[in-house]
Formats: sequence, structure tokens, C-alpha cells
Amino acid sequence: MQVRDHLFPTSTLEAIALLQGEDGKARLIAGGTDLTLEIRDKTNSFEVLVDVGRIPGLDQILLDGDQIQLGPRVTMTQVEKSKLLQQYATALWEACSWVGGPQIRNRATLAGNIVSAQPAADGAIALVAMNAMLTILGSEGERSCVLSDSYISVGRSTIDSSREMITTIAFDKQRPGEASAFRRMAQRKAMALPQLNCAIWIASIDGQCQNVRIAIGPVATKPFRARQSEAYLAGKPLTEETLSACAAAIQEEVQPRDSVLRGSGKYRKEMTGVLAKETLELAIHRLEGSLA
Amino acid sequence: MKQIRLQINGIWRTGWAIPGQTLLDFLRNELNCTEVKKGCGKGDCGACTVMMDGVSIDSCLTLAFQAEGASILTAKGLGSKENPHPLQKAFVEKGAFQCGFCTPGMIVSANALLEKNPNPNREEIRRGLSGNICRCTGYRKIEDAVASAIGTVPQTCCKKNQENM
Repeated sequence: MQVRDHLFPTSTLEAIALLQGEDGKARLIAGGTDLTLEIRDKTNSFEVLVDVGRIPGLDQILLDGDQIQLGPRVTMTQVEKSKLLQQYATALWEACSWVGGPQIRNRATLAGNIVSAQPAADGAIALVAMNAMLTILGSEGERSCVLSDSYISVGRSTIDSSREMITTIAFDKQRPGEASAFRRMAQRKAMALPQLNCAIWIASIDGQCQNVRIAIGPVATKPFRARQSEAYLAGKPLTEETLSACAAAIQEEVQPRDSVLRGSGKYRKEMTGVLAKETLELAIHRLEGSLA
Repeated sequence: MKQIRLQINGIWRTGWAIPGQTLLDFLRNELNCTEVKKGCGKGDCGACTVMMDGVSIDSCLTLAFQAEGASILTAKGLGSKENPHPLQKAFVEKGAFQCGFCTPGMIVSANALLEKNPNPNREEIRRGLSGNICRCTGYRKIEDAVASAIGTVPQTCCKKNQENM
């Protein structure tokens, strides 16, 4: 579909008003690394672009008390370069450095990673492990949504970019005794989509796991939380034995499908156990650092 | 159609763009900047890399409208045949190309890397060029060329995208 107009509102409220005025025919754009391809392939369903690129203040990374807040135009590069996120949201910092190459990371936003709703999106997988909460602005006002509840299926989000926009991505910073890690498996070290990725956030006291969140992609139609394995590990001592058992449980819990691009389901299921174990070990290694 | 005004290699230029047109097509077709190469057209190859307001981007994944008022640097803006940029010189001296199609993008990415990190190690060079593909597989010589240009690239020191927060 031919794009009829490309508008640059100067505030979020104006952006929402412009979207509303087009009644579903407009689409919000930030970095545009996905949307540009839709236009190129003529698969775009929108006629008008509402560009948030010139709204001031949307690219902030803030620490507010114990909470980290990211604006909707924060790019992968900003996350990758952020000392704050390296310290307080390590898995996210690590994940964003894997997205595309430098040119893509300079444009692509974390919010775009979320609304594109791909179950393998590195940034979003890490945010699921960080238990991120979204603030979404629409014509009816603001609403909040837990990130993992924003997924409907592959490529489909409850956030309707023709009517609303993410205004904040928020999550708790890692405190002493908490750590996170992200690992991925791909055919190349750069510019390759993940065959598997895994983000883990963990909290422990005296070598015993208090709480853990394990996010894995792409093994389902949305980022997958290995909740049974999380329940298994909670309350257990973090020993080699429990970690191996947890990794085996994660492997049991996932059902990756066969993919020409990513490998057979059987192979990826086995590799999920390997990757999850590595990620757990890395997180626990950092846990020791966080207490030192 | 809308008139888009932007700076190309330090000179203000104006051209007509249509909504949804990529910056790449606008640069090549409207402003005749054919040093910006069109490879895959979907952000995989990096042949169309330019710097926009101090950061490297794929011009095929950026829309012309988004570049209004921006400052664009292409490989041509780095230096000329008579007065080549240290990176261009290094590419020639190390023979860092065969067909040359990826070269303008490679050089812009290398420039972006060295502007931010004046003394990269081999791994950092590889990472800095990871968004650019050379299908003649001349990577080794490209890497050598960038390594040999270390210390010779003028620092323009752009702050954008380098914040620590």
C-alpha cells in the first residue's frame, strides 16, 4: 500500500490524536527497522506514518528509586552503552548488544522489539526475565500492562500501534543478591537471528535461590516463561546438582518446533537445556559478584 | 511529495521525496549520491551505510522524511582521490577490496568505529564492521586496513549515542 503521509507530532498526546484521526489507517514509527521492510515489500497495511522521532524526551534511561524507566525511543545502542543497565539490568544490556549490527542497533528501539511481538526478540526476552511493566498511552488515557501479557501470538501484540503507544518500559533494578544473564545460540556471532535465546533473573540469599525468572525464545508463539522450572529452583540451594536438574526441567518444559531457519525441534530442545544451564551459571557467577 | 532539506557531506541539499521512500533511494535517485550502494535493501549487507548526525545507519532502513534537517556523511564526504581520508588510503594500501561494492559502506562503518573508539582491538574491529558484508570475502584485508588506520583518523567527537546513562 502506498504511504500517503509521514507526520511528525511534537508530543505524545498529539501522536495519539493523529493516530485517532486516521482511525486505524496510521501506524506509529520510531526506529523503523521493521516497518521500512513492510513498506519495501508492500505488505504494509497502513497509509500514514506517525513518527515519534521528533518528540523530545522519549529517549531517556532513568533510575527512579529502585525502578529503571526506559523511554519508547531508547535504542539498542543506548542500552548497549549504558553503564547503568550493565550494572542493574545485565541481561538486557547483554541481549541488546546481539541485535543486528551497529547500524541497526543505532536505529532499532526496545519498544519496537516489544510491539513487533516476535518470540525470539533478544531485547524483549531479556525484558520478560526482568519482569518489565509497560505504560501505554491511547485516546482513553494511560493503561499498564505486564510485558509478558502483551503477546497474543507471533507478530501480534495487544498494543495496537495504529491507536496507542508505549510511553514507558519499567522494571526493578537488580539489588544486592540479585543478578541476571542472557545467552543466545545463532549461526553467526552477528547479524543472525537467534536459534535460541535465554534470559534469567535470579535472587538468592546465602546460596539458596529465593526467586527466579527464566525466559526462553523462540520455543513458543510468544516469549516463554519456564514457570515449572522456576518453581522447582525456588527455595533450593544453588548447587551443581540443582542447576543440572533445573536445566533438565527447562529442557523438558519447552516444545520448540522444527524450523528450516533455526534447526530441528529435537535439536533445539536439547540445546535449550545446554543454553539454560550456561545462562544460569553466568547469572549465579554474577550473583557472587553482586554480593562481593 | 515533499521537499526534504538535509546536509550531505557538509553541503545543504534539497530534493523531492515521497512518503515511505527510503533515504537510500532518495540519496541515489534524487540527489545522485551513487557512492551509497544498494545491496540487499533490507539491512543485512551494510552497503548503504551512511552516518546520520554522527551515527552509522543503514540508509535502506531509514526513510527520507526521517532525515530531514539531518547531517549525512557518505564515503565521498570522507575524502577525495586527490586528498583521501586515512581510511581510504589504508584500504588502497592494504588492497582491502576486490569488486569494491561493499567498500563505501565498509569505510563509513570503519569511520564510525574509529570516531567512537580510536584504538580498537581486532575483536572490536570485527564487531564494528559486523553490519557490513563483503561477498568477495576480503575480510582479513579489510580488518588489516582498519587496524593500520588506527591513530590516523581525525576525531570529530560526537556525543550522541555515547551517553553512559
